Amino acid sequence: MSSQVKEIVKRLRPSLSLGEYGKVYSDTSRFMEISYGDIIELDGNHYLVLRDEAERSFGIEDPKYWVKRTILLETGERKILKLAFFEKFDLKLGSLKIPCYRSPKKEARILDLVQRDMRFMQGTSTRDEAGNLVRIIDIVSGKRLDTHVFEIDADHERYFHEIFPTVLEKFMESCRAIKFLHDHGEIHGDIRRDHLWIENRTGLYRWIDFDYAYNFQENPFGLDIFGLGSLLIFLTGKNLYTLSNLEQAGLDPALAERFKPEDFSLLYSNRIANLKKLFPYIPESLNFVLLHFSKGAELFYETVDEFLDDLDRALSDIKKGICLI
Amino acid sequence: MDIQKNAKRILVSLDGSENALRGIDYLASVIGKGKGFFIRIITVDKEPSRDLFPDETSWQQAREQKYERAQTIVAEGMERLRMLGTTDADLDTKVVRCKGPGIAQAIIEEQSSDNFGTVIVGRRGVSKAEEFLFGSVSNKIVHYARDCTVWVIQ
Repeated sequence: MSSQVKEIVKRLRPSLSLGEYGKVYSDTSRFMEISYGDIIELDGNHYLVLRDEAERSFGIEDPKYWVKRTILLETGERKILKLAFFEKFDLKLGSLKIPCYRSPKKEARILDLVQRDMRFMQGTSTRDEAGNLVRIIDIVSGKRLDTHVFEIDADHERYFHEIFPTVLEKFMESCRAIKFLHDHGEIHGDIRRDHLWIENRTGLYRWIDFDYAYNFQENPFGLDIFGLGSLLIFLTGKNLYTLSNLEQAGLDPALAERFKPEDFSLLYSNRIANLKKLFPYIPESLNFVLLHFSKGAELFYETVDEFLDDLDRALSDIKKGICLI
Repeated sequence: MDIQKNAKRILVSLDGSENALRGIDYLASVIGKGKGFFIRIITVDKEPSRDLFPDETSWQQAREQKYERAQTIVAEGMERLRMLGTTDADLDTKVVRCKGPGIAQAIIEEQSSDNFGTVIVGRRGVSKAEEFLFGSVSNKIVHYARDCTVWVIQ
């Protein structure tokens, strides 16, 4: 079998040399076995596997054996192959546990829906010889947006006045992208900081990873909207703030005395949502939006439209330099 | 719609929870034998999303199980109401298929299409965070229902 891989690589990418030549797989059911040096054959195309993708969580690499980083030998392009893997697990959000399902079908459908819409990662899907639904994803060359914003070399005040208005405008476009999904009866399902990327070449903000599905009965969009709110809190603050990291973040630790339980995130009770108490130049209109995601909130956003309407007002105030205290 | 005229047309929505069943208990204590009342006990059956299942067969199975469970819920509701002494009311049960985005809307549509003047729903007492993420059927009914009285049992 390894001679078959060697022959295919030699024929299609003669310049490529591998440390190991594995097998050719046209059935990806046993994805755990597929690793570096193997080829996945789909619709007559050959994807040379480089490695399993991994997510870093709390400093630990969590390998995703069903997600393979590959080279499409016919073109030389790098692609991510997401192989069919069904699992049900509890998504933990603060103290809440939400039953969550990994759905290849859902992600494939969204990839079709967002074809050529560069606010989202791009890709196609196909079935392998055994009928498994495989998603073939173009790699977004860039960086997580939160990391990009965190690393901007400016103190908060300068960031907020000079850079944040553009960040907010672009983030609002990302919110419109989520609204587009909702308008088509879809949800992103996993809106968190590591799933919005800024592309190196274009500076576009792009959503990735849409394969989480839920059994929501009444409010299908609530989780997405909460994710947008949490992202907004990060982007506004250029960081996440807790009572214990104020000094580390260059702020006066005595500010901690200002905070009441209702100033913290609705789901994460250590994260500060009422950022105006840290940065008084944040306009009331923007802080009003942030407080919708706090423990003190009496009203919640039910649609992205409502969220965007309030953000429009906030953006306009920021541009005018309005800060009503 | 005349609320007074339809007040004795009562729609009870059950979801399999204890609080919703307490609605039945409360109703029985208020109307007694129920002479002159028309009571419909419903539960809303929302199809599970196909995305949650690896194939059509397992989805179909889950869907059928859910529908059977819905039928049991309304039958138990009816039995409980009779057991509590509401024997003279005109009673029926229905499993309402949810075609729209949410359960509250399905209940409101049932209320308005058959002129129910009273709607009874249970409230599970969810936290703020749960309400944000998952929504609240009873809150939506209180907010959007028209031309009827809503009893929320907590």
